[in-house]
Amino acid sequence: MDLSLDAETLEFQAEVRSWLAAHVRPLSSMDTEHGFEEHRSWERLLASERLSVVSWPSTYGGREASLLQWLVFEEEYHASGAPGRVSQNGIFLLAPTLFAFGSDEQRSRILPAMASGDEVWAQAWSEPEAGSDLASLRSTAVRCDGGWLLRGQKTWSSRAAFADRAFGLFRTGPGERHRGLTYLLFDLRSEGVTVRPIDQLDGEPGFAEIFLDDVFVPDRDVVGEVGDGWRVAMSTAGNERGLTLRSPGRFTAAASRLVELYRKNPDPALRDRVVDAWIGAQAYRLHTFGALAQPRSGPAASVTKVFWSELDVALHETALDLLGEVAPGWRDGWLFSLSGPIYAGTNEIQRNVIAERILGLPR
Amino acid sequence: MTPEQLALRDTVRSLLDKHSDVRAAIETPHGYDKDVWARLCDIGALPIPERYGGSGAGRAETHIALEELGRTLTPSPLLASTIASRALLATGNEEACDRLLPRIADGTVATLVWPWDNGRSSLDGTARYVLDGDLAEIVLATDGTGLYEIDLAGVTREHTPTMDQTRRLATIHLTGAATLLGPWSRHVRDIALAALAAEQVGAAARALELTVEYSKTRVQFGKPIGSFQALKHRMADMHVLVETARSAALAATDEVSAAVAKVYCSEALFKVAAEMVQLHGGIAITWEHDAHLYLKRAHGSTQLFGSPQVHLARLAATCLDRDQPPEPASRKMRRNVGHSR
Repeated sequence: MDLSLDAETLEFQAEVRSWLAAHVRPLSSMDTEHGFEEHRSWERLLASERLSVVSWPSTYGGREASLLQWLVFEEEYHASGAPGRVSQNGIFLLAPTLFAFGSDEQRSRILPAMASGDEVWAQAWSEPEAGSDLASLRSTAVRCDGGWLLRGQKTWSSRAAFADRAFGLFRTGPGERHRGLTYLLFDLRSEGVTVRPIDQLDGEPGFAEIFLDDVFVPDRDVVGEVGDGWRVAMSTAGNERGLTLRSPGRFTAAASRLVELYRKNPDPALRDRVVDAWIGAQAYRLHTFGALAQPRSGPAASVTKVFWSELDVALHETALDLLGEVAPGWRDGWLFSLSGPIYAGTNEIQRNVIAERILGLPR
Repeated sequence: MTPEQLALRDTVRSLLDKHSDVRAAIETPHGYDKDVWARLCDIGALPIPERYGGSGAGRAETHIALEELGRTLTPSPLLASTIASRALLATGNEEACDRLLPRIADGTVATLVWPWDNGRSSLDGTARYVLDGDLAEIVLATDGTGLYEIDLAGVTREHTPTMDQTRRLATIHLTGAATLLGPWSRHVRDIALAALAAEQVGAAARALELTVEYSKTRVQFGKPIGSFQALKHRMADMHVLVETARSAALAATDEVSAAVAKVYCSEALFKVAAEMVQLHGGIAITWEHDAHLYLKRAHGSTQLFGSPQVHLARLAATCLDRDQPPEPASRKMRRNVGHSR
């Protein structure tokens, strides 16, 4: 497998690196009102250089970058210590769904505002009684003149405390479980929406509950066919579990930080674990680059998800063990890493997917 | 894989399906099936250029054959002859290549005596764990700077059986009689580790397949045991290991990535083979079942060319102790990336 870069990609890499070096600065936590707006400004700055969505078509604010160039961008981004992406749920989850199932009208209306950070999106899938068993969701969308009325409750909705809009699955009937669901977009500031922030284990409201009481959604905000929401949503699930949301750059950057940390706090008892974690990040990187040579099937995203989420926990736990109680610079990352094996489908669900859909084991 | 590579894989797989009998091969005096080896040479699995009488196979083609041999655990001189051929090619010695490589391409077994930690070694001591060392007609050795052809007159060699009966290893007592062929290339170690990793991936993939097949047919409590989530998740984890190990093996081209592949693929195969035993239950504790062959291969391969600990220590020295952070697994990719924050 040849991982060498062509001249165009090298030039792109150099541009990204020098731009980031000149512009990256620390921001407040995106899970505070102030920090959220700082992160939105950062998205605007990225977008002004057409660096917020490099792989998208230029009409929507991108650069038509190849998958390889996108991976290079991500490596540079994370290595530079640049801020987390407040727009990531929109960019990495909703946008691929719109590219696959949306109309031209939806794409040209929604994507540029997403790319510029003017509209930040939250995911509204889980419900109190529908977590791993997402198909048991009960929130409804009822037909009305010119659109739909949403009723029900969504939860664990990342960024929803401060975001502008949300995408979710609603029961439009008839049929049970995977049938009769529709993928809808709604405004978090619409009449009838109540957002109740939930403090996460770091003390900040990284996600929220959303209560919907006859919230109007116009017909133009239905994505895909009415009743086809499960299929539409699962295309997003593959993105969330797989490569796009968790590019290897994030983990190779964390592994490099871990190595630096070890140099400052050399503890022979932890030496092998540091190298193991570093190897894990390298293996994940090589595995994702392998996808360039040989595209993988949908369920293969579950392999990736199990790997990166457990690697992330291991990287952070090793850092914590090196640092002892205080763990400056690693605490938030560690707390966040704990959610990795849970969100985007718990790793137990991923293992079921691998076992049943890849290995063909009986249900 | 290209269509040609897929065809090569199918050809080797069908050859091994039809002709490889591992249990019979390990009972023969030399420990491998000479007919299967001759056919592998005919197919052109060895990485020997056409101008030296070879097939012109590249690294990828040889690794495809090694992966297939790994799947079936077929004993074969391919690994030893591949490493010896690449060491010889790396000297740039035309005369020696002209003289030796056509013979190797025709099936003459060749091997390399080398210190796996890449330290210096002497040409007149005792070398242990030499692949096919008692059978090889061409024996090359390195003292860490040059590559030598060993004069076998006066050299004593004995087969040293290890836990893995499917791998032929020997102890060789060298006398010092050797001819310098040219410079030793440190890259030969990377080549060897990558070739071994390809073989390990094959064994791990097949061990998982056999386990999945078994769990679909073995019925307990009125259901195939593969329908139980406790077992499904273990097999899902095995699959994650096999797929990531395959990526590591494919990417193993330089010093760091080859060491990563050695550590990662050794641990992956060992874990998968150990799980194969557990998931098969009692039948895997029998001699008759092949699970123990995979487990023993896993153990032997883990130790071959240096244990994971040896390579971890090497990586740690590169990765943790240098002033500069390590180059990631492909140098070209991350050239000049700043790591300071």
